[in-house]
Amino acid sequence: MSQPRVSLWATEEIDEELQVDVNLAIGNYGQNGLYEDAQPKIDEATLIAVQHQMAQQAAFSQIPDAVKRFIVHFHQAVLENNLAEITVAYESGWNRLTEKHYSKTEWPEAEVIAPLVNDDQLFLILYRELYYRHVYSRLQPDIDDRFHSYENSCELFNYLLNSEDGPVSLQLPEQWLWDIVDEFIYQFQSFYVWRAKVKTKTEEELVMLADGSQVWSAYSVLNVLYSLIQKSKINEFILAQQQNKSEAEIAEIVGDYGSLPLYHMLGYFSLIGLLRVHVLLGDFTLALKVVENVELNQKNPFTRVTACHVATYYYVGFCYIMLRRYPDAIRVFVQILNFILRMRQYHTRSYQYDQINKTADRMYALFAICNALSPSRLDDNILNIVKDRYGDQFAKLSRGDEGLPAFEELFLYACPKFISANPPPYDDPEQLASYAEEPPSEPAQRHLALFVADVRAQAAVPTLRSFLKLYTSLDAAKLASFLDADEEEMVQQMMAVKAASRSVSRVGTEKNLLDGQMISTSDMDFVINENMVHISEVTVGRRFAGWFIRNTEHAQRVLDGVKNGPLPLAPQPAAGSEAESKSAPAQQKKVAWATAAKA
Amino acid sequence: MSATSEWVTPPTRPELIESLVSGVDRYNPSNVGILEDYLYHQIRSREYDCLANLAILKLYQFNPDLYNPDVVVNILVKALASVPFPDFNLSVALLDDRASNANMEEPDPLPGLLPFLNNLHSLLQQCRFPAFWALYRSDALESLRDNYTVEVVGFEDSIREVALRAVRATFQKIGRKRLGSYLDLEGSDLDEYVARLGWRSDTSTGVIEVPQNPDNQIASTVVQEDIKLPQLTKVISHAISAV
Repeated sequence: MSQPRVSLWATEEIDEELQVDVNLAIGNYGQNGLYEDAQPKIDEATLIAVQHQMAQQAAFSQIPDAVKRFIVHFHQAVLENNLAEITVAYESGWNRLTEKHYSKTEWPEAEVIAPLVNDDQLFLILYRELYYRHVYSRLQPDIDDRFHSYENSCELFNYLLNSEDGPVSLQLPEQWLWDIVDEFIYQFQSFYVWRAKVKTKTEEELVMLADGSQVWSAYSVLNVLYSLIQKSKINEFILAQQQNKSEAEIAEIVGDYGSLPLYHMLGYFSLIGLLRVHVLLGDFTLALKVVENVELNQKNPFTRVTACHVATYYYVGFCYIMLRRYPDAIRVFVQILNFILRMRQYHTRSYQYDQINKTADRMYALFAICNALSPSRLDDNILNIVKDRYGDQFAKLSRGDEGLPAFEELFLYACPKFISANPPPYDDPEQLASYAEEPPSEPAQRHLALFVADVRAQAAVPTLRSFLKLYTSLDAAKLASFLDADEEEMVQQMMAVKAASRSVSRVGTEKNLLDGQMISTSDMDFVINENMVHISEVTVGRRFAGWFIRNTEHAQRVLDGVKNGPLPLAPQPAAGSEAESKSAPAQQKKVAWATAAKA
Repeated sequence: MSATSEWVTPPTRPELIESLVSGVDRYNPSNVGILEDYLYHQIRSREYDCLANLAILKLYQFNPDLYNPDVVVNILVKALASVPFPDFNLSVALLDDRASNANMEEPDPLPGLLPFLNNLHSLLQQCRFPAFWALYRSDALESLRDNYTVEVVGFEDSIREVALRAVRATFQKIGRKRLGSYLDLEGSDLDEYVARLGWRSDTSTGVIEVPQNPDNQIASTVVQEDIKLPQLTKVISHAISAV
C-alpha cells in the first residue's frame, strides 16, 4: 500500500486527474481506497464513470427531503413485509408526492436513489416499475424507456417465478398486483402501436428495433401470463371452489405457490390479463375460453379490485358482441353498469375513478349498439342514461341502412385498441420501405369492417318488423307491395329477420361462459305458410303481484309501528276528540288509524 | 343440450387435438403440422372443428413464416358452411393484414379470393341463397371451385344445410320452386333430396311441408305472472301472527 506522501509526489505529472481525485477525496471518504490503488494514468472509462457518479450525486442532492424520507420509509416497509404500511405508501404516498413534485417530470432514476436503500435489488425493481408507470402515463416514453421497462418487467417476473428457493415471501397490496399486470399489458400494447408507425422513426431507433425483435414479443408476454396462471393453479382453485371442496383439499390442490396470496391474486389477474391480450389480438373465442370458469357475479371473491372487475366485464361483453351473442352482451353490460352506478360514491378519490368512468362510457356505447341489434326489455335505468349520453346516435341506430355511420362511430369509440401481432419488417430495409409506402390497414379498421358486415346483414330488420307488428296474418305479395320490393327478395329478407331474432345465449343455468342455447330474442314471431305470413306477438301481462305484495307489507309495517307506539297520554279525552276532529294533520293520523283498524 | 357445447367440443375431435387446443401447446409452432393434418381430415370426412382451425390461424398470426394460404382458404371455405355461427368472421379477424411477402414462391392467392369469400359469406348471412348460387357458379369463382371447394367433400351439401336451417325456421309450407332455388336443385334431384330429408311433398300443388320444430311454431302468448308461495310468506305469516 503506497504512502499518502508518495502519491502526492506522483501526481505532479498528471494535473487534471488530480483535480478529480481531490474532489472525490473531499466528498466521500470511502473513495480513498480507490484513489490509492489508482494507476498513475487513470483511463477513460473510469473517468466517465466518475463523472457519471458526480452527476448522480448532483441529482441526488436535488431530491426533496420529503421524497427521500418517503423512499426510506417505503423501503423499510418492504423489508419488513409490512403489508399495511406498504399499502399506505403505495396508494397515497406515491400519488401525493407525484402530484407535488413530479407531475411533469420523471421521478429520480433508480441508480440515483440506490444509496438510500443500500442497493436493495428487489426494492429497486419495484421502484423502477413505479417509475416507468409514471413515465408511460404522464410523459412520452422514448425507445430507451420502452426497452428498459420491458427488461425491468422481465426481471420482476423472473424473480417471482424462477427464484431457486420456491415462492418468495414478499407481500404486496392487491391493488398493486393488479396494476403490475395491467401496466405490463398496457406497455405491451403501447409498444406495438408505437412500433407500427414506421414513418416517424429516427435512424437510431430503426437500428435498435432491427436488433431488438425479442423485446415485447407476443410470445414472451403470453409466457409470463401463462406461467403465473400455471404456478398458482388458479383454474384448479376456481373449479374446486365451485365444487365446494373443503379448505384442506383446496390447499392441497393449489400447492405451495397457490396458497400464498401474492401468487393467488397474480394468477387470477393474469387470467384477466390473458383475456385482454387475446381480445387485443383479435381472438375472441380463445379469450372467452381462458376465463370460462370465472363466475361473473358479485359474490365472486375476486371483486375487491374494482378496476379488475370492470375490465373483466368490458372484455367479456365485447367478446360476446363479436360472437354475435347480443343478449349475453347486454346482460353483462347491464350488470356492471349498475354496479358502477352504485359504487361511484366510494371511489371518487382514487385515480382509478377516471379510468373506470371512461370504461363505463364505452360500455354505454356498446350497450346502445347491442340494444339496436337485439332489442330487449331489460333495464330502463341504463337505457335512459344511454339515451342521455348518445341521444342522436342512438336514434339513428335503429334505422337500418342509414344507421351504419352511427354504428361505425360508436364501435370505433368503444372498441379496445386492437394491435397487430406482426411488427413492420424492421430487419429488412427493402421490405420496410415498401411497407412504409403502403401500410396495411389498421387492426381496428379490419374488425370494424367485420362488424359492419354483420350489421348490414340485419339492415332490413327494423322496417320489416315494424310492418309485421301491424298484422296477424298477411299475404306475402301484399307485404312486398307495401315495401315496394320484389317478393322473392322480400321473402329472403324475412328469413334473415327470422335468423336475426335467434341468438345463442346463456339462459341462466350454464356455468361456463361459452355455453348457451338458441333462444328467441324478439317478442314478435312469424312463420310463412307457402305465401301467407302468420304473425304472433308475445306480450307481457300486467304484473301487479309485486306491487300489491310490497304495499301490503308496507301497510303491515305501519300497523306494527302504530300498535307498538306509545299510547297518547291518558287524561286527555280532548286528545281523543282532537284525533276525531277534521284538522289536517290529525286527519292523516285518523286515516292511519282507520286503515289499521281495517287491516 | 346447449347449442354451443358441440361447437366448442365436437364429438369427432380426437384426444390429441383436444389437448392441443385446450392447453399451452397450441402456441408451439412445431404443432402446426398436426393441426393442418386435422384440417385436411375434416375436409375429407365432412367433419368440422372450429376451435382447432382458429388455433391454426393463431399460429400463423405469431409465426408469419408458417403461413400457408391454401390452408387459410380451406378454413374459410369450411367456415362458410357453419352460418349462422360467427365462425367466418372469427377466422377473418385472425388474419392479420400482411405486407406482400417477397419470399413466397408462388403468388399468394388469398388477397384475390378474400373479397369473393366475403361476398359469399354476406350473401349467406342475408339468406340470399339464389344470389349465392349464382355467384358461386359464375366464372369469376372458377379458381375457387377448381382448387378448393372441389376438395372439400360435401361442400355443396353443407351449404344446402345452411339454407335448410333458415327454411326450417321460417316456413311451415314452402313452394317447390322456391325451395329449389334456395338449394340449387331442380326436377328429380330436388324430389330425391326432399325425400331423403323425410319431408312430405304434395306433388299436385307443388307444396312441400316443413316438419314442425320449435322455430316454426308460433303462438300468441301472454306472459303471465307466476306468483310463488315464497313471495307471500311475509304477508301470510304476519296475518297469522296478528290473528
